[in-house]
Amino acid sequence: MFKNQLKIALRSLLKRKVFSLINIVGLAIGFGCAIIVFLFVSHHLSYDKFHLNGDRIYRFVTEEQLDGIHYSASVPPGFANAFKEDYAYAEKMAKVVYWGDEVLTIEDRNLKINMDEEVRFVEADFFNIFNFPLINGSHEVPLNEPNTAVITEDMAERLFGQEEPVGKAFLFGNKELITVTGVLKEFPVTSDFKSSIFISFPTLKSFSRFMSSESWGGISTNLMCFGLLHPNQDIEAIEKSIVAYPEKFRPNSKNKHVYKLQPLSEMHLNTTYGGGINRSTLWIFSLIGVFILGMACINFVNISTGQSLYRSKEVGMRKVVGGVKTQLFWQFMIETLLTGFLALLAGIGLCFLVLPWFNSVFELTLSMGSLLNIVAIGFILALLGLVTFFAGSYPGVLMARVAPISALKNQLSANDIGGSNTRKVLVIAQFTIAIILIVGTVVVNKQLSYAMTSDLGYDRSAVVMVEIPTNDVLPVQVEGLKERLSKFSGVEKISRCLASPGAAYLEWSTSVQYNNKAEAEEFSIMVKAGDKDYVDTFGIPLVAGRHFVEKDTLDEVMVNETFARKVGITNVNDLLGKQIAINSGRVKASIVGVVSDFHDQSFEGSINPVFIGPLVDVYNEFAIKINMAQASQTLSDIEAEWTKLFPEFVFNYDFLDERVAEQYQKEQQFLSLTKAFSLLAILIGCLGVYGLISFFIGQKTKEIGIRKVLGSNLGQILKLLTKDFVVMILLAGAIASPIAWLVMNRWLESYQYRTQISWWVFVLAIGGVILITMTTMAYKTIKAANADPVKSLRAE
Amino acid sequence: MLLELKNIFKWVNSGSQRIFLLKDINLSVEEGEFISVMGPSGSGKSTLLNVIGMLDQFDEGEYYFFDESVHKLKERHRSNLYKEYIGFVFQAYHLLDDLTVYENLEMPLLYKKYKGAERKAMVADMLDRFNIVGKKDLFPAQLSGGQQQLVGVARALISKPKLILADEPTGNLNSKQGEEIMDLFKQLNEEGVTIIQVTHSEKNAAYGSRIINLLDGRMVK
Ligand SMILES: Nc1ncnc2c1ncn2[C@@H]1O[C@H](COP(=O)(O)OP(=O)(O)O)[C@@H](O)[C@H]1O
Ligand SMILES: [Mg+2]
Repeated sequence: MFKNQLKIALRSLLKRKVFSLINIVGLAIGFGCAIIVFLFVSHHLSYDKFHLNGDRIYRFVTEEQLDGIHYSASVPPGFANAFKEDYAYAEKMAKVVYWGDEVLTIEDRNLKINMDEEVRFVEADFFNIFNFPLINGSHEVPLNEPNTAVITEDMAERLFGQEEPVGKAFLFGNKELITVTGVLKEFPVTSDFKSSIFISFPTLKSFSRFMSSESWGGISTNLMCFGLLHPNQDIEAIEKSIVAYPEKFRPNSKNKHVYKLQPLSEMHLNTTYGGGINRSTLWIFSLIGVFILGMACINFVNISTGQSLYRSKEVGMRKVVGGVKTQLFWQFMIETLLTGFLALLAGIGLCFLVLPWFNSVFELTLSMGSLLNIVAIGFILALLGLVTFFAGSYPGVLMARVAPISALKNQLSANDIGGSNTRKVLVIAQFTIAIILIVGTVVVNKQLSYAMTSDLGYDRSAVVMVEIPTNDVLPVQVEGLKERLSKFSGVEKISRCLASPGAAYLEWSTSVQYNNKAEAEEFSIMVKAGDKDYVDTFGIPLVAGRHFVEKDTLDEVMVNETFARKVGITNVNDLLGKQIAINSGRVKASIVGVVSDFHDQSFEGSINPVFIGPLVDVYNEFAIKINMAQASQTLSDIEAEWTKLFPEFVFNYDFLDERVAEQYQKEQQFLSLTKAFSLLAILIGCLGVYGLISFFIGQKTKEIGIRKVLGSNLGQILKLLTKDFVVMILLAGAIASPIAWLVMNRWLESYQYRTQISWWVFVLAIGGVILITMTTMAYKTIKAANADPVKSLRAE
Repeated sequence: MLLELKNIFKWVNSGSQRIFLLKDINLSVEEGEFISVMGPSGSGKSTLLNVIGMLDQFDEGEYYFFDESVHKLKERHRSNLYKEYIGFVFQAYHLLDDLTVYENLEMPLLYKKYKGAERKAMVADMLDRFNIVGKKDLFPAQLSGGQQQLVGVARALISKPKLILADEPTGNLNSKQGEEIMDLFKQLNEEGVTIIQVTHSEKNAAYGSRIINLLDGRMVK
């Protein structure tokens, strides 16, 4: 019976090629989206799920309560040991320090690489907490001694080729000779701890005094602290007991710390603490996947119910010879299952095509191979089942209900083949989804271009950032280099600085005392270290006073307008000549100039009080404004000159505008995806409209008799349809607009500076859908008008 | 007695008007009869046949098929009844275009839980009997009208019905083809199958043992 039904189902699909194709293409797109979303979501959910005691691993994090709450994924360096000594909650504790931008040299191999962000300093217990074994499977990772390191297989090959790496050494940061004591198995892709060189914690001393100390003075986001707790701990109780720490270790700080425990499973999914992706983003993606698949199902329902007009004779006849409702229903379900199965195959094919693009957008390495497990296969089969059910049951019931005699006499009314109202509701639902997705895309796009093109308050075009790779040269040498670089004709302005004005890395936020007050202010200040050319190089306008003059000891600095506001001064000129002290009074100077506000963090953050001063010790980069007309010549001149002073380092540069753009990577990704999804939604919608119109034309042809319809009556049908569809789209627009408005407003709320959702966005989306629908309609009608009516009747 | 209709009425309401399609039909049919139903177009012949075949409802009266009271049965039981005992032959053949001759014949069996081998044997039997073995893999559109109706009759017979209802079975055929079908009916009837046919032709009606005349939904003598 089943085999027979399958054969008949296949034949009936082949017979109605156009409609089968529309159904299969629509569902294939739906399945494709669903599978990609599944890959994406399950990828993110699988992060660090492989650790043996994962449920007992926690990260210690801090809520810094100052001007507002600032979430930091780290704790002060002194925390780990204090916690271990004071309490018995943890079985093991380990500090991890992220370290980058350091050169690695192996002289006998003539190797010099810049390690951007692959290096960690870790305490040995890191490998007892987490599950990253050596290549021989052992968890006994030798990493207690200073100047030792373990590296991954890939890194071993990169550094030492085929030679045995254990016992060999490399020079790190032109400073410390470090011996390899072990080789780690390659890390799984789905780990947030992925990196390739792990240097023993005692080695950190010569790189960062602060982070290797037991200080409680501040937090560096580069240092993280993990603990493996004993089984069955009450996390709230632990958090309560460490409430006392700030009072004990940092009694005088205005920056009130609250320490918390974050479960390992939250680490990847909570962007508050710098996780890879938000749960809500995963939900949005999943929902969009469901939407697209839902649209494809609606298409199927519409087209199939439309088809039942042509199939009613068959159904009637089957009933006459003894087919009962359930048998007919299941026959149709098998047909749906077959369509669904073919669509699934096509959808999987689509995934193969699209995945490389998707991976490049999200910088992932998802592969279809990861679908070869029980969960994924179960998911896909369940999806096929659900789609078959949702797409097939309604038309199936309609067909099974057909009264045989009227069917044989071709007397079926519109109601017998699914009320036109039902179909209208379904089409409206489709249009609603499409409009929501289009509005979403437009708004994301608008916000992105708003953010990327809006004035940051400083000039980022044609500015090249070049690293100052070491502190081992004297400040005068760096100044000399600056002098020489500024002589090149392509160099317009140059400044030494800690970082660019809005850099998200190397943020330095500290306490501030104003006008010789003993008390620190209630707010903290952002410190921008830069020399006298800093504000000019970045084109930050001066609103009062003058540039500072560089002297041997720091004594003149500038602040921004927000600082004035924060200390309650309306006329910025009143700031001039006033004293300012930062960093708990360690840096003192007088204010000689006030600059206008600029985005001192990323564009998303609010503008903070800012301190600009020549803090020579922390200079980390050159900012060089160049003439773009001769950029490549200038860059190679700079490289040659730079290498003379830093022969042991690798020359690297970034354009500032590119760095800024990189800060919008997440939004860019989001945009690419919403674009793709709404395109697909529109495509599926078009297929649906095409199918429906074919159905209407067919129906009218049948109703009015055969030949003449397509000529004279076509205009009338078209007019009627146009009106119908426009009304449906407007209705869909009325439903979609408030939903889209609410959702997108929520999304925008996470941005301090945001675009408006103007009325034209909705007009655009609704108008666009109308236009596309009309085009589809015109295409189909013209095709129908040109076709031989009798033939077209038969074919469909 | 095979079936009995008692005071059967069927009507449709059109506005405030009630239009009678069947009026006070009283008819009893013995097993082995061959009845011809005649009457002008629109007189209710098809309606009567559909009522007898249980494909259509009636509004008043009693209908007994063997010992079952059809008017009291639920739809499911009714369809089980006609599925088992009745075969239909239509003027327009109503073969399924998507299916081959073989599959068209097999279809009724699929709904009756015969095993694969049984079905095969039964279909082969029919093909053989009707001399259409060579056509078994053709689709209806590839056959002449007479051949299609032959398949239609074969399909009606395949599940060994006690009663064949034929609504103008020769209406679309030329006289030679029509004669063949009528000869076939005669032969079937001699084998014991009860036949009720609708026809416009006196000649065809003469094949039967009894003629019922309808006029405006009413039986006339
Ligand atoms: N469902 C129906 N609704 C209204 N009128 C019907 C319906 N079915 C049949 N009729 C009418 O009943 C009459 C009898 O039809 P029918 O039994 O097909 O006649 P015959 O087969 O004798 O030509 C016709 O006038 C037909 O139009
Ligand atoms: Mg008739």
